[in-house]
Amino acid sequence: MSAVIKDDTRNQTLVSLRGLNKHYGDFTAVDNLDLEIQDGEFLTFLGSSGSGKSTTLSMLAGFETPSSGEILVDGQSLVSVPPHKRDIGMVFQRYSLFPHLNVRDNIGFPLAIRKLGADETRKRVEAMLKLVRLEPFAHRKPSQMSGGQQQRVAIARALVYEPRILLMDEPLGALDKKLREDLQDELRQLHRRLGITIVYVTHDQEEAMRLSQRIAIFSHGRIVGLGTGYDLYQNPPNAFVASFLGNSNFLRFTASGNGAGHFEGQPVTVRLTPGLANGQEALIMVRPEKALALTVEQAAREPLPAGWNEVTATVAELLFLGESQTCHVVTQGGTALTVKALSAAGMPMQPGDQVRVRWAVADACIYTDWAESDLSKGAGAH
Amino acid sequence: MKVAINALHNAQGAPSGTGAPGAAERRPPISQRWRGSRNLLPALLFLGLFFFAPLVGLLLRGVLEPEPGLGNYAQLFANSAYARVLFNTFSVAGLVTLISVLLGFPLAWAITLVPKGWGRWLLNIVLLSMWTSLLARTYSWLVLLQSSGVINKALMAMGIIDAPLEMVHNLTGVVIGMSYIMIPFIVLPLQATMHAIDPMVLQAGSICGASPWTNFWKVFLPLCRSGLFSGALMVFVMSLGYYVTPALLGGAQNMMLPEFIIQQVQSFLNWGLASAAAALLVVITLVLFYLYLKLQPESPVGNAR
Amino acid sequence: MLLSPNAMGRPLRTGLYLTTGLIAAFLLLPVVFIILLSFGSSQWLVFPPPGWTFKWYAQFFANPEWMDAALASLKVALLTTFAAVALGLPTAFALVRGRFPGRELLYGLFTMPMIVPLVIIAVAVYALFLKLGYTGTLFAFVVSHVIVALPFTIISIINSLKLFDQSIEDAAVICGASRLQAIFKVTFPAIRPGMIAGGLFAFLVSWDEVVLSVMMASPDLQTLPVKMWTTLRQDLSPVIAVASTLLIGLSLLVMFIAAALRRRAENA
Repeated sequence: MSAVIKDDTRNQTLVSLRGLNKHYGDFTAVDNLDLEIQDGEFLTFLGSSGSGKSTTLSMLAGFETPSSGEILVDGQSLVSVPPHKRDIGMVFQRYSLFPHLNVRDNIGFPLAIRKLGADETRKRVEAMLKLVRLEPFAHRKPSQMSGGQQQRVAIARALVYEPRILLMDEPLGALDKKLREDLQDELRQLHRRLGITIVYVTHDQEEAMRLSQRIAIFSHGRIVGLGTGYDLYQNPPNAFVASFLGNSNFLRFTASGNGAGHFEGQPVTVRLTPGLANGQEALIMVRPEKALALTVEQAAREPLPAGWNEVTATVAELLFLGESQTCHVVTQGGTALTVKALSAAGMPMQPGDQVRVRWAVADACIYTDWAESDLSKGAGAH
Repeated sequence: MKVAINALHNAQGAPSGTGAPGAAERRPPISQRWRGSRNLLPALLFLGLFFFAPLVGLLLRGVLEPEPGLGNYAQLFANSAYARVLFNTFSVAGLVTLISVLLGFPLAWAITLVPKGWGRWLLNIVLLSMWTSLLARTYSWLVLLQSSGVINKALMAMGIIDAPLEMVHNLTGVVIGMSYIMIPFIVLPLQATMHAIDPMVLQAGSICGASPWTNFWKVFLPLCRSGLFSGALMVFVMSLGYYVTPALLGGAQNMMLPEFIIQQVQSFLNWGLASAAAALLVVITLVLFYLYLKLQPESPVGNAR
Repeated sequence: MLLSPNAMGRPLRTGLYLTTGLIAAFLLLPVVFIILLSFGSSQWLVFPPPGWTFKWYAQFFANPEWMDAALASLKVALLTTFAAVALGLPTAFALVRGRFPGRELLYGLFTMPMIVPLVIIAVAVYALFLKLGYTGTLFAFVVSHVIVALPFTIISIINSLKLFDQSIEDAAVICGASRLQAIFKVTFPAIRPGMIAGGLFAFLVSWDEVVLSVMMASPDLQTLPVKMWTTLRQDLSPVIAVASTLLIGLSLLVMFIAAALRRRAENA
């Protein structure tokens, strides 16, 4: 396991989830979950639907009661506190604005509940309208606004009472791509400016990467990967995360001694991996863009550098994707691999050609323990 | 009554609402502006002959008989006995509306709330009570409520009362019988409205800090308002015009407008006064019904806009 | 929260369910009571009855007045159903398919008999038939019932016609059918659930109609509700409970048929 959780020691733990479980009859939605959320961080729960991320968020909000386990905020248990006393902000997937109130009253609603004075309420609502740039729309009803505007109202409504924690449940899921990206940028800036703790749920990995400082990857009710987007992508802690995030090539090899082995009869070198025993089957994971495909002539011209591996394969298909292109190859043993390169680099081969696929030992992750289902791209997804 | 039809449709699990948008919009040339309207003729002729003409005829009699003028109307408002009938009509309708709203609201709420199978059962009970014979149900209440009836006997057996209560041939009987009949007409539109509320909005209210109590008054109830208003208005309008139940369960001292009209026609042959009262009832009904239509979000014939 | 039984809190939920149970019982009470009463042996409607009996049923079926009334009811209801569907069908087509101005207003006019109090329709139509000398005839019964049944068939047929995609009919025309053939072979089968539902509503409305019938009735021709009404004004005989049970039974039957047809249409 090489995933590193960057421990920022300045940050304090704000929320702790300890041994959290949620069962619906026989179905385990959340399975013995432990997680520390730092004060002021932007943390994203990433996973396919049914992975437990939304249930966990619901338990944080108080809409679901854990079957067992603890939720602590600043060391105080939240489990028996009803949602309306938790002082947590939340933005919902379909905005869930109050349809009978105009924008101003929607934003002012939490303040009216808290019986804030009229002057203070007006001041804070104005500030929020300004923050989300909706001042000209203060008197509109939610139904008269676009999806993006409604979501900004929802954000303002969640922030107006200055909660320490803001939960966001796929808040941009219903919006089109361009608008989503704009709002993602706004959200990142908002987080930076307010220093609030945000827990964000999404199934969109690009969104998770764009927004968050840390990502928690959910599968079958557990967190299977936790760390910065960079770490999770470059050094996935397990085969599931590797296959879930981005694209990956898996090569099955048999270890022989320390840091070496055989892939389909060809010798390969691997990084030193604790627990890798002689004769054991293990996986090499190489990202497509970290692998190179060379024609036989190219390979003859450029000798294999030290610390690189090379296997032989046949080109099955070449795809031009604009800024990049991909080359699908099949090894003699039938393993399908994908190599990706910038179009500028060029790929002078044709389907049917023999190629040499190379990768640096340092760029390949080794997994000794995995389930077959982890390797398929759609694992756990719908 | 339209809710009744839609309800019977919806009870079988069809999506609620007035139906899907129609087929593709066609734009005919102006020469065909009245295309297809010929098919209206049979029904128009029928209703014109047997509904609109008699109706207009009746309303005219109010200003023509016994002599032309507004004498009947003056009499209607001036005579204290007649004014009392008007007062009764409105107060009974108001009371019935209030009670059926109070009883219909929790029922509609529960139907929306409980697991689907149970909700279907509750809805079927509502539909059953709505579609079983009005006369049969009224007769049943007459027997249930009479001084030697089951309800009086049960109350006496429980020691709540010593002597039988007078519950028929008075206001109590009318209000019980009519509220009973009107509950479905509150439940069906209200349930449709509640069904359409996004439960997440209530979660949003709660996360914003509203206790269940506050959430109910500030979010849930305002969101039910359209269904509540249209249901209540419909019930009020229908109550104004009900004849059978008040005639059987009510007493002479709380006669309502419909009974008065029939009495004037059948017993006193006073068509002028009856027609004036009828005109009054029609105008009130149509004005209230216009309000009701204003509360309906959708066009009944659809795809026109 | 308030729309999720698990999250609303036990006291509120228990309170609501209890209230609901009581109201549901209130709704069922008269219906169940009247059915039980029709089998009770007490002449004076003592409840619970001292014994159970079929004798009121025997009396009902042996009495030619009740039987004639039941037969008249059936005849009037069937004729009303037929006439209301026949008049409603072209009207619904015109309102849905037509592209002429004022359709909303016309729709309002056609549904007006549903809104105008029955008493007023009854008095107005009674005045007309009195002048024409038609009171007490089958014609008067059927015409007055069709007036109030027509909105039900029109609305039902409109509802199913709006769900029918007219391009399917156009497809039949492209395939070589004439417009009329297409309507008969494609559109009518598709909107049959609406026609049947409308017919059932019309039947129920007529079957249960009291006010109009009382005004139209003569000693020679009266429907079941009229016979009940006149009997009811004299005494509360258990035979009325029998008639009520039969009315309820038929209404239930019609509701079941409607539900079954609905289900079949959905599964198809």
